[in-house]
Amino acid sequence: MKKKMVSAMLVFAMTVSLGAMTAGAEEDQVIRVGAVCAMTGGSAVYGEGAQNAIDMAVEEINASDAEYKIEIINGGKVADDAKDAKQAVNAYNSLMAEEPEAIVGSFFSSVTLPMAELAADDNMLLLATGATNYQVTQIGPTIFRNCFIDPYQGKMAAAFAKDQGYTKAAIIYAKDDDYSNGLKDAFVESAEANGIEVVYVGECTTTDTDFTAQATQAVGSDADFVFYPCFLDTVPLLVQQVRDAGFEGAIMGGDGWDGADTTGLEDYFENCYFTNHYSSEDTAPAVQEFVSKYTEKYGSDSLNACAALYYDAMYMLEEAAVNGGGSDTASLVKGMTGMKFSGVAGDIYLDENGDAIKPVVVNTYEDGQIKWLKTIAPEE
Amino acid sequence: MSILIQSIVNGLNQGAIYALIALGYTMVYGILRMINFAHGDFIMVGAYTMFYTVPLMVSYGMPAWLAVVAAVAVCTAVGVLVERIAYKPVRNSGSISALITALAMSLFLENLAMVLFGGNPKTVTKIFDLPMIEVFGAKIQMKYLLTLGIGLAIMVALTLFVRMTKLGKAMRAVPQDREAATIVGINVDRIITITFAIGSALAAVAAMMYVSTYPRCTTDMGSMMGIKAFIAAVLGGIGVIPGAMLGGIIVGLIEILVKVYLAPGWYEAITYGILIVVLLIKPSGILGKNTGEKV
Repeated sequence: MKKKMVSAMLVFAMTVSLGAMTAGAEEDQVIRVGAVCAMTGGSAVYGEGAQNAIDMAVEEINASDAEYKIEIINGGKVADDAKDAKQAVNAYNSLMAEEPEAIVGSFFSSVTLPMAELAADDNMLLLATGATNYQVTQIGPTIFRNCFIDPYQGKMAAAFAKDQGYTKAAIIYAKDDDYSNGLKDAFVESAEANGIEVVYVGECTTTDTDFTAQATQAVGSDADFVFYPCFLDTVPLLVQQVRDAGFEGAIMGGDGWDGADTTGLEDYFENCYFTNHYSSEDTAPAVQEFVSKYTEKYGSDSLNACAALYYDAMYMLEEAAVNGGGSDTASLVKGMTGMKFSGVAGDIYLDENGDAIKPVVVNTYEDGQIKWLKTIAPEE
Repeated sequence: MSILIQSIVNGLNQGAIYALIALGYTMVYGILRMINFAHGDFIMVGAYTMFYTVPLMVSYGMPAWLAVVAAVAVCTAVGVLVERIAYKPVRNSGSISALITALAMSLFLENLAMVLFGGNPKTVTKIFDLPMIEVFGAKIQMKYLLTLGIGLAIMVALTLFVRMTKLGKAMRAVPQDREAATIVGINVDRIITITFAIGSALAAVAAMMYVSTYPRCTTDMGSMMGIKAFIAAVLGGIGVIPGAMLGGIIVGLIEILVKVYLAPGWYEAITYGILIVVLLIKPSGILGKNTGEKV
């Protein structure tokens, strides 16, 4: 009898506190968001863009008559993952200590994967931005992303190569990077269907600066197309060394190329291409409005796809809160599932995995400047 | 065939850069019996100096490579400062203290650079505009030959300097017996400062050759390169000047040839493996003298 009393009381206490909790969450119309990106290291320019874009979006949303407002925890600062899995986990844990209702980030697959594992365990909504590895959203139902996935990017690169009349492809990829592996696999898989022979596959690591060995072999294999799905910091080194080895064909990469420094290598970057989430030259009004607002505030140095994706992420959370009817995590997840969203990085539809189905942009270079070539709509 | 020649050329180039860095390690070790782990970061300091001074030189109509003068000045200043502020106070506290201080200095310089220059990698303007020649279908950049030439020239000059000059003689005397050297009138502090100045100036030259091949500087570029050059110095026989050159070339060649012909992902493991094997067979390095402990 006594036992029953105690358990009844406990149940009562729990119900009350639960009620108090949900009541508290419903009362405030503020979505508490934690953000993660690489603020230091070789990809710090992405973090700079992310921070600026988040500041801009939050300011706009909070100044508008939107139903829900956004508060960036960690004092408004993006937590630094330094593009390192361990640091990303630290960043995630430090954000969780402040009890966010959603976490946005990161831009890289290799650091988002461990964060997604934690978020799935914590039932935390994780909205990844540039993490294109296909596994990211498979980890749990609370993981979403507003970018396309690697197989899609690799497939599009192969289709583009065929489109331009190339037939022999060499691939140089970073073995120690999930993103690079994902794009390589997808490219190899769809190469055959596009009538492209993969004549050489070379490995490197993300910290390498010397690619002369791989470049020599790529040229020796008689390739007319080099696929280098790696990140911006090594792109100028690779392009220079491949060209110096006597390669004259096309060199292509994925969205990791965005923001690569072409200073002094303008000639080398002729006939280079990369797929991306959006192009600042896209004539769509949403893009142009974003570009002009951003450039006015922060200049164009850090205006990359990363900025656009973090910007969109803020608006997606606001819309998710409206759709789901609350600013707590459960409502946000409900509102985010199957969402149709129209933002800077194109019209997005979140499929059953939480992956974005969206158009892909192909960019090229002209005098070292990124030039929009075309936008390929998603296949039905 | 052309791939082999090309790979050897690439390996020689990379090896020559390692050798230039290794020369600095060996200089300091030869005189002080201390491993200056911050040496790789002196390269980073040199590279950033080049990043800022090369465009200046170009805009004043001077040849871009003259920027190396500024790099030498900055690196020498940093090297001497580091020695005076950090290493001198712990010089008599044993080798572990010196090692820890050097590691701390390395981290300090990297973080200082992060604060000063920001986290983004910087691309250095082209320094040499040299043609490319073709030999048996292999494309040889003239700047590769230049790197190799500079490495050899510095090696010869340093060897002559240490063997022939009075200052060089004093440098050789210091590691043999510091107290006896003081007794015969050698100013040990001055010799050590000069050693650091030379080692750091070499780092500036190495930085120039590095950025002319890989035109990029990052704040952490020194650590990995420092380790590779350290391996090169140990492999060749640390403290032996021609050994640094030989070790550098061997490490560079192994790395490139392993990447081309064996397993690209394994090149670092194989390089370190070879180091272990050499040290097992000949602990003092390839050119190192096997000197027994004095009784």
